[in-house]
Amino acid sequence: MSDPGRSVTVDVRPPTPPSRPLTHRARRAAALQLALAALAVTIAPIGLRALNYVRRTPRLQPTYLPALEGPRERLPFDAAPVGDLAGMNPTYVVIGDSMAGSRIDPRVLTELTHRPIAPLLQPASGPAWWYLALKNWVIPSGIHPRCVFIFFRDTNLTNALFRLDDQFRWAVDRVALDREDEVNAVVAARQSGGLYRVRDFVDRTALATETREWVEPGVSASAARIVEPYRKKRADFLVKLNERFGLDHLRPMDAADIQVAEDRDADFDAYVGRSFLPLMLRDAGRAALPLCFVRVQRRPAGGRPPVQSAALRGYVAKLRAYIESHGAMFRDDYGDPALTLDLYSDGDHLSPSGRRRYTEVFYVRLRPLFP
Amino acid sequence: MIFHSLDFVVFFVLVVGLYWLFRQRAQNVLLLVASYVFYGYVHPWFLILIGTSTVIDYCAARGMERWPERRGRFMALSIVSNFGMLGFFKYFNFFVENVGAALTAAGLQPHLPVLRVLLPVGISFYTFQAMSYTIDVYRGELRARRSLLDVAVFISFFPHLVAGPIQRASYLLPQVEGPRRFDVERATTGSFLICWGFVKKLVIADNVGVIANKVFALSDPSFEILWAGVFAFAIQIYADFSAYTDIARGTSRWLGFELTENFDHPYLARSPADFWRRWNISLSSWFRDYVYIPLGGSRASGGRWVRNVLVTFLLSGLWHGASWNYVLWGLYHGLLLVATRAHRILRPAAPVRRPWIAGFQIVGMFALTCFGWLLFRETSLRDIVRDVSLSPFHSTPLDREAGLYLFLLAFLYSIPLWIQSVWVELGRETPAAGPRPVAAWPVMVFKAAACGIAFAAILVLRSRTSLDFIYFQF
Repeated sequence: MSDPGRSVTVDVRPPTPPSRPLTHRARRAAALQLALAALAVTIAPIGLRALNYVRRTPRLQPTYLPALEGPRERLPFDAAPVGDLAGMNPTYVVIGDSMAGSRIDPRVLTELTHRPIAPLLQPASGPAWWYLALKNWVIPSGIHPRCVFIFFRDTNLTNALFRLDDQFRWAVDRVALDREDEVNAVVAARQSGGLYRVRDFVDRTALATETREWVEPGVSASAARIVEPYRKKRADFLVKLNERFGLDHLRPMDAADIQVAEDRDADFDAYVGRSFLPLMLRDAGRAALPLCFVRVQRRPAGGRPPVQSAALRGYVAKLRAYIESHGAMFRDDYGDPALTLDLYSDGDHLSPSGRRRYTEVFYVRLRPLFP
Repeated sequence: MIFHSLDFVVFFVLVVGLYWLFRQRAQNVLLLVASYVFYGYVHPWFLILIGTSTVIDYCAARGMERWPERRGRFMALSIVSNFGMLGFFKYFNFFVENVGAALTAAGLQPHLPVLRVLLPVGISFYTFQAMSYTIDVYRGELRARRSLLDVAVFISFFPHLVAGPIQRASYLLPQVEGPRRFDVERATTGSFLICWGFVKKLVIADNVGVIANKVFALSDPSFEILWAGVFAFAIQIYADFSAYTDIARGTSRWLGFELTENFDHPYLARSPADFWRRWNISLSSWFRDYVYIPLGGSRASGGRWVRNVLVTFLLSGLWHGASWNYVLWGLYHGLLLVATRAHRILRPAAPVRRPWIAGFQIVGMFALTCFGWLLFRETSLRDIVRDVSLSPFHSTPLDREAGLYLFLLAFLYSIPLWIQSVWVELGRETPAAGPRPVAAWPVMVFKAAACGIAFAAILVLRSRTSLDFIYFQF
């Protein structure tokens, strides 16, 4: 440290704020400039709208999630599972993502229980998908299983936005009806309170989503056109490019889907009211469907279950109390001595042999549910 | 609270609306309340840290002035408390991991504690800002302030609280203490800065960020794909960080403040020294004043000067994050500076007058900077080694096409950034004295139209994947 009073070169000091005088005329001009800019920003959405009329962009379907997006082309609701479930009349239903898929082997569980099992699994899905599968597939099918298992990790169940980004929305399309007002309300509350309506209004006024439908592909296509001028080869190139960035080319950590829960998501009281959990419990209760939420154990580390923060422990305790107070069951895999590291493959996924072993452990641990 | 949220827009309109109804004292109270709401919006416990830091630094500075003979102790108190908090939250796990690795290598099986707590956003920024206050008071370059309110506003001023630019007390405190009048021209230029900042963040940074993220998620990138990803990251980090600075400066102007510039078109730099005069100016001048010059600066002999540069850049790298790749990035830039100076000593060159040579220098420096960004973006040393050993001769035709495609895509999104940089660079002129000139009608219409187009671009081209500001994590 230098001595006090030592002179430091003057050039290292930032300049003082400008204090050039502002004439009355300049002030008026600046005000006019500000007004002009505000006017331009206001009419920009109208200009975009006009541009769309000129281009005659086809009207897109309204979305079931206006809190997140404007109109777009969506995949249709897949009604087939409703009939399949009704025909199968399963005794147990398993809902979840790859955590459930890499843990429950329906064939093994059927052998153990001698009952039909219906797995409703969607890799890379989140609570929105799980809730919609319950609401739009299981309940309308009219089946009365002994239990519906819903698998989740740490704080996923109360994170309404988990796996609801654009890249996962195609899967949600398959379980969503044309209107999902309650789902949208939950997402809106979690996303931005009531302010999403402002963004939605601006987007609708500007037909922003419609414009995106042709502007974005235009940008990508102009780059692709330089790389591959011939249309047929270009389409082939884009397919191969997608494959080049496929799951089998990802780094282990990215492919393994290790999404560590952050403590900020572990505020149960703050998020439960803005999650799908109350809707799941309510709808299952109305349809007399017994629910069992299964919290999977993440990958063990150092021969022990993974470290849990105090916030996460507190969250899980509150989650359990909430679920049980609403008449559902809660199974926490965390700390189960049978779930050792050798069962795991990448990240929190289990290996094929681990899957069989887990199913057996699951059957034993929840034996009262499998009479 | 984040700038690119509707919450912030509502918050800012309310604050500005109330702000100009009050006199200076009440304005400062409002600013402090607003800053604390802004900072504690998601995690109120962050306020304990910034509040503690403020009170300690205020008391330390007052103590230095009251008891000059004990100012060293007060300075030590400020250093220990500020760096203690920073070290605990930011570097504790890094330290434990490395100690653990060393003990494991020595054949031991340590069971060391791991801190599972969120890194308080912007802690590195406000810690350094607070430190600049106490150091300047210690050096006798600034008098300690009597008003805790003013010091608290200086440290927590919300527009630049979480990602800079780091302001010196000698620059910002007089603005906090002085009367402020609404200046419509400042508000207008502030609006342009905010508008441009949002375009840079939502249209440029977030879109090219998606490209960079995809490339850096690959386990087997080819040479071409990797460097297209590095190029995308170079654009992303500049657009993202300078966007934050622009929005911070723009919002400050609406409140009657003027923050220093933090970027001066760094990708048009011609040498490493030039780059550091243009990149994150507030941080590099902080390190220059409080680390490099106290170590002896450039007046030291050759060997000592090399040490000074390397130490300064190592610390600068470590400031960015608790990871070896940041240290490596700092060391790399330090070595670039050393190499440039060595080259200049061995082969003194005349000033460049030919534009094409300047062009080569800019492209060369940009390539060197991109290599630095590779070190910055890759968090694993093993991946860095793999990346560096990639050869263009082992790529498939698809890899070459994919690399070109990703490069072009990143370039297309970044065109406005390049145009603006070149436009400003070519039109540099020294600020004139006297009254500010009045803009002509065509210029005014052009600027207004640019704002409208910028807003339309945000509506249509904003990325579908909203990413956090990169420098939040530091």
